[in-house]
Amino acid sequence: MGYYVSLHAEILGDDVVPTTEDAIDAYRLPILLVRASKKGALIMPYLVTDSVKQIMAEFNFPVVVFAVNPFSFNGFQTAKNRTALYRVVKSLSMNYRYAVCVQPLRGEMIACKSFFGQCNIEDANIMEIARKVYETFNIPICKLYIQRVGGKAYLCGLQPLKMEEISPLEADLISKMVSRFSEKGGFD
Amino acid sequence: MTRIACFVEKYNFAYSDEAEALQCFKQTAERLGHKFNFMFRSGLSEIPKYDAVFIRATTDPLYTAYVVSKTAWELGLKVVDDPVSIRVCANKVHQYRLFEKHCVPHIPTIFLSKEDFHHKQIEEVFELFGKPVVLKAPYTSFSKYVEKVSCETSFREVAKRFFRRSDYIVVQKFTPSRFDWRVGVLNGEVLYVCKYMMPKGKWKHGVKRRGKPSFVWGRTVTLKRDNAPQKLKETALRACGVIGRGLYGVDIKEVNGDYVVVEVNDNPSIYKGQEDYRDKDIYEKIIRFLAE
Repeated sequence: MGYYVSLHAEILGDDVVPTTEDAIDAYRLPILLVRASKKGALIMPYLVTDSVKQIMAEFNFPVVVFAVNPFSFNGFQTAKNRTALYRVVKSLSMNYRYAVCVQPLRGEMIACKSFFGQCNIEDANIMEIARKVYETFNIPICKLYIQRVGGKAYLCGLQPLKMEEISPLEADLISKMVSRFSEKGGFD
Repeated sequence: MTRIACFVEKYNFAYSDEAEALQCFKQTAERLGHKFNFMFRSGLSEIPKYDAVFIRATTDPLYTAYVVSKTAWELGLKVVDDPVSIRVCANKVHQYRLFEKHCVPHIPTIFLSKEDFHHKQIEEVFELFGKPVVLKAPYTSFSKYVEKVSCETSFREVAKRFFRRSDYIVVQKFTPSRFDWRVGVLNGEVLYVCKYMMPKGKWKHGVKRRGKPSFVWGRTVTLKRDNAPQKLKETALRACGVIGRGLYGVDIKEVNGDYVVVEVNDNPSIYKGQEDYRDKDIYEKIIRFLAE
């Protein structure tokens, strides 16, 4: 329903945050990666495909696999060998109907909550990624998947944050930000 | 020389007329001195190697074709269909709202939301448009998810099905006709004009066979674009004008001498011997547009 609220407001010429374009793009992983990297966020090499053979030709194990379909919003899966990769790709591509987005797993995968570009993990690189993603897409509340390799952080994915994942403290922060938005007519 | 990638899926080669049309695009591009390669889902990482991307696979913001279009767009490539056109044409609510805003003549339309759907609203719809009415899911394409309903029971049954994937549905006045005009438009110019005839005894161009997954399609009667009614062409261009400057197929009905837009489709069908039957230059015009 939120999409249609934004859509109607846009057609009427109102300012909308996020725009329908950003709302669609942020959840299509390859587009998220292209646009965020243009904004300066570090990303891992990635491959969009439904071919396991192509994945094995491009990357060594282990790999991280994200769904690129409109129905799966449950994180990522990792594959450490050929058998696991076949199983994961078949599942996330919905029996090869959609593509998947694969990235090499070279470090530690971290999931962080982002509220208006501020994240709940005290790491300057991760905070920088959250800020850049917010500047690019204006998605106020989301979950970011980030890979930490050595001292660097790489954006890997973005997914919606479920209501039950938001703590009372975070809910309070969100309501304060929304109040500021109403008072100032926009976010900082 | 322009390097053109044509994004296709396996099903684009299932019908010989469509496969032949794709070969015509390739031959035309090569005759004009350009490079033209078919790109499948496994070739997406090759996008930066091209100058232009021509999408022939079914477009929808939820499908891979949108990822291809937006990626190419972000990299500064020329793209047909561009991501804005895909978004507007894949959501009929968006499209009809734009028609309303810009006063494009279109079939009388209202929108129903899942939250406000109730008995009284169905009665009001029948009062406003009479019986039957046409229900459309916002994501309709190729005549799918477009159904005619004449009573509250079938209205509820169809609406319930469409509401599974969308918070809004489109309701339109039923306007029977023997054919829909199809006007192909590229970059604000008319490319071809056809009549999409309804199969015998049916009310839409493509109808699913009862109990089978296949569709039966009506005939296509093609006119020379110069011989098509001027008012028809003007209506088509006006409808496309509110969406963009890409490649579109505009469906139009003729009602008492007036032309009303049914919908604008991005990624319109181009089949050998059908849309190109009278105006053979459509391949060249599209390739030249991509190479501009």
